[in-house]
Amino acid sequence: MDDIRFYGHTPASLGGEATPGRLIVLEGTDGVGRSTQIGMLQEWLEAEGYAVLVTGFRRSELAATGIDRAMRGNTLDALTLNLFYATDFWDRLEKNIVPALRTGMVALVDRYIFSIIARARVRGVPSAWLDDVFEFAVVPDRVLYLDVDVDQLLPRVLSVRQLDHWESGEDFLRGRDLYDNFIRYQTALIDEFRTLAQEHDFAMIDARGNVGDVFQALQNEVREALKGMDQV
Amino acid sequence: MTRLQEHLAYKMGDRYGQHPDDGEFPGTLIIVEGIDGSGKSTQIDLLQKWLNSRNLVTVFTEWNSSPIVRRTTKRGKTEEMLTPMSFSLIHAADFASRVHAQIIPALRAGATVLADRYVYTAFARDSARGVNKEWLRRIYSFAVQPTLGLYFKVPLDVSIHRINTGREELGYYESGQDMGFSNDREESFRIFQGKLLNEYEAMTEEFGLMTIDATQPIAVQQQQVRRYVEPLLENAMAVRGQSVPEALGKAGLSGRYISPPMSRRLTATEVSDL
Repeated sequence: MDDIRFYGHTPASLGGEATPGRLIVLEGTDGVGRSTQIGMLQEWLEAEGYAVLVTGFRRSELAATGIDRAMRGNTLDALTLNLFYATDFWDRLEKNIVPALRTGMVALVDRYIFSIIARARVRGVPSAWLDDVFEFAVVPDRVLYLDVDVDQLLPRVLSVRQLDHWESGEDFLRGRDLYDNFIRYQTALIDEFRTLAQEHDFAMIDARGNVGDVFQALQNEVREALKGMDQV
Repeated sequence: MTRLQEHLAYKMGDRYGQHPDDGEFPGTLIIVEGIDGSGKSTQIDLLQKWLNSRNLVTVFTEWNSSPIVRRTTKRGKTEEMLTPMSFSLIHAADFASRVHAQIIPALRAGATVLADRYVYTAFARDSARGVNKEWLRRIYSFAVQPTLGLYFKVPLDVSIHRINTGREELGYYESGQDMGFSNDREESFRIFQGKLLNEYEAMTEEFGLMTIDATQPIAVQQQQVRRYVEPLLENAMAVRGQSVPEALGKAGLSGRYISPPMSRRLTATEVSDL
């Protein structure tokens, strides 16, 4: 039975109980292939006999709609967006992730606090304040970081959709060229992810390879993290 | 540093290694605090009317009123989805949005900003719900330091009597029922408000809030409020023969988040008290 660990103080209404489950986080910038890999990991883990919870960014019952609505306007500042994300994150942590860990499930989380922190840091929010805000987060058993450079990212994103306003940092970058902004924003974001990877000891997964190779690398890390867990 | 970073740096204060520069704000920030039924909203309303009558530009901002966050909070409350931490975080988001879009622009323009409830409301309510006090102070460190903070102190019985005679039913969160203090809403309200009183009491010293005895007649309280405010008005932004939106427009503000002067009419009791 593992005890739950937080980055800072134990937040109101959590803590105390044993959490035999495992918390596995997948991080990486937009378009790097996280959701594909999460889907494959879920298939594999369920076939292996684990109970799996998949949850992602901006999916809370409480705040997801509100964030979407706010992001359609143009008045959202970096602090408000960050606290909105924090609300969404907390709601899922308290209502989905921690209960899953208590019942011994594997929680696969598509983007955790690190995506929120990286985005806010790029926008100039002091990292010490961000660390303070998110000290209520549970320390994951493993953070898997899908690493690419922006020039490898671009063809993947372009082949499936248009460049997105927020993914190009157009809320705070001043240039008018969407392509330039995308490159500048994603380069800065990837830098922040790499800094976070050092600070929080992420498992670095080279995401430049094909889907199968990346999946294998992820499987190795997950196997390691699940050692000693009960299977169904 | 980019311009955005500089902007945030003075919002964040020196805890994060940067220097706050209050001197950049020519405006004045006056906030009122107190439990429900303390009469603080009436007092800030009267204060705003007085300031406006002297042609000063005032901007009113109210707790839990950001156009982009409020709906989420409302939904969370109606459906009783909020827990102590999500209650705390969503109110912090609302506050951040108003600091950014309403309070700082107005202060930079030199206006007098009047806030009905400020960070102390979050400190009181959230700590009464068991949220870590020290954490609350750190996450709200982006708040602008008020020029003047007024605390309207009232005993529980008086505030409850005022609420019972003048308002609609107590809300689930307003009465702290989410905390399971009591199944009876009124009893729960009493327990919760009692906790808030203790929190406020401790904060008057911590944050240098000026206490006003809110059991006094409304006019007497207002005289005290004006005595505190008067010395702060020397260089306040004033309008001459133009409307408030025009004055703000001249300062380069769109006025989109600047509410018009409050036009709430006093209740019969309030008028007779005057």
